[in-house]
Amino acid sequence: MKVYSIAYLGSDNEAVLGLETALKGDGLRFMSAGADYQGMQRAVDFNADVLLWDKENLPPDAAIPVEELRKAGLSRQPIVVVLAADDIEGAVKSLAGGAADFMFKPLREDPLPRIIAALNTGAKQRRIDWCNRVIEDTNDQVRGILATLADPAYIVSPEYQILWMNRAAEEIFGEGQRGGACHHIFYDRTEPCEVCAKTRGSARWRATLKNGKSYRFISAVMRNSRGEVEKLAVGTDITPDQEVSKIHKTFIANVSHDLRTPLAAIDQYVSILLDGLAGELTEDQANYIDVIRRSSFRLHNLIENLIDANKILSGDYKLTMEVVEVSDIVAVVHDRLQSQAADKGITMQVQVADGLPPVYADKSRIAQVVANLAGNSIKFTEQGMLQIRAGFMPRDEGRVIVSVEDTGIGVPKEDLGKIFDLFYRVEKDKVYVEEGAGLGLAISREIIRAHGGTLWAESMEGMGSAFHFSIPSYQGQAAVR
Amino acid sequence: MADGERSLILVADDDKDLVMAMSIRLKAAGYDIITAHDGEGAYEQASQNKPDLIILDVRMPSGGGFSSIDRMKHSLNTRNIPVIFLTAFDDEEMREEGRKLGAVGFFRKPFNDDEFMAAIAGVLEHKGGGHGGF
Repeated sequence: MKVYSIAYLGSDNEAVLGLETALKGDGLRFMSAGADYQGMQRAVDFNADVLLWDKENLPPDAAIPVEELRKAGLSRQPIVVVLAADDIEGAVKSLAGGAADFMFKPLREDPLPRIIAALNTGAKQRRIDWCNRVIEDTNDQVRGILATLADPAYIVSPEYQILWMNRAAEEIFGEGQRGGACHHIFYDRTEPCEVCAKTRGSARWRATLKNGKSYRFISAVMRNSRGEVEKLAVGTDITPDQEVSKIHKTFIANVSHDLRTPLAAIDQYVSILLDGLAGELTEDQANYIDVIRRSSFRLHNLIENLIDANKILSGDYKLTMEVVEVSDIVAVVHDRLQSQAADKGITMQVQVADGLPPVYADKSRIAQVVANLAGNSIKFTEQGMLQIRAGFMPRDEGRVIVSVEDTGIGVPKEDLGKIFDLFYRVEKDKVYVEEGAGLGLAISREIIRAHGGTLWAESMEGMGSAFHFSIPSYQGQAAVR
Repeated sequence: MADGERSLILVADDDKDLVMAMSIRLKAAGYDIITAHDGEGAYEQASQNKPDLIILDVRMPSGGGFSSIDRMKHSLNTRNIPVIFLTAFDDEEMREEGRKLGAVGFFRKPFNDDEFMAAIAGVLEHKGGGHGGF
């Protein structure tokens, strides 16, 4: 059984007597000593759990000797102040100064309930103190780690005041900036930056700082031990990435230029021959030249798809967002692929749910996705039908779902998880298809992801496939990519 | 150009095979053709022969298409000749630059022959104020 030790620090014999009488019982032990350093030491040796500190004849505004108690090793115990009956001010000030409770002399009431309450308060306070220490320690550790970073890190208040900067940030912005407004010191702005003004929680942004370098920042909201919100921001130097990206962009631009250039000449000479500008062609010659024309067209498509894939997968493209009806997108794809489906004897059906809201999307990119999915369906279906359906996402009316379903050969179970990977192709002897570089689904997934949506597939081998994507419907507010 | 005369078109591109093919196609369509293979040559041909239309490649030796058009637009002799750019680059900024420099059209190689011929005919019909494929 736990025994609680109660120490009285004072010299009022009458109080001592009263307390001794009241605090005799199982689970309790009591001692008394003077309120001086020696008495405090005795309370330490006694392993006191609660202190009864007698204010004795000290003036009303006298405070609890917190510092002396701490030096003696009595900082964790709750303190119940014992004071004269008329010392109301002293009681109020003692509570304000950290006392768990107080008792007026002479002690007429049973002091035990107040002592138990104080023990409980002390336990709670110790837990709070421990938590605060953990928060402080963690914050110190975080600052310690951030201080060593080669990239800038800083902490600001919700009022945009700089509370702390690491060495790397000081090298960029100068020392002694604490207390200044971050938007002014970092970016020479008179108003807070948009990202901070609009975001309460974590945020990401890119900025070019005063040293001419570009950084990607991530911020997180922290609370200090006083419960105050602070925002920590850490930057990563992306200048080298941007340089690599620029080189990459120039390389792709030059390569695509050099790949397209000869195609223009091929197309022109093919037209000259087919139009008879170089003399009449035999039927065979015309057929052979038509093969060159079709091959050139395929090569052109492949080059454009590779360039497009490179742009999309490296994030080097912009969506042209507009409010658009899903039925318009589906109709465009239907018109584009209708004859291709008919050539293979496949029935193509389109179905759009009544009352379906519009979407805020890049019309041509979403049409590209639907055309890609439907094109795959035509490619892998020998007979039966292809259906494009658009409707409300089950259990989420804020999203629109578009499905492309076919009665084709389906996707083997082991391939279903990989078909969205770049350059992945399902290859089986019986269904080997020459065309396609394994780009379409990877591009489609990225486009849908950029619209805040998801693309997924279901299939049963030999029975058909269903590809679905969901994107947010237009709710009257423009979404941001 | 008097009524009944054939329009004169300058085709300037460093891809000589393409220039020859375009010359054949355009001659067959009823146009007279002069050619150049670099920026300097394009400017000289334009200054001396004052063609009715210039088809100009963007990337050429000794001054590309942009510097050629810039010189032409600053010369009284050539400033009113419509220019259609032709390039294998796919760059929106480049297209915008071409427009700012005063071009009436911008085609990307390989180009759709029907659209290209229609743009040429359209520009020649409304010479000076026409639209050639932007």
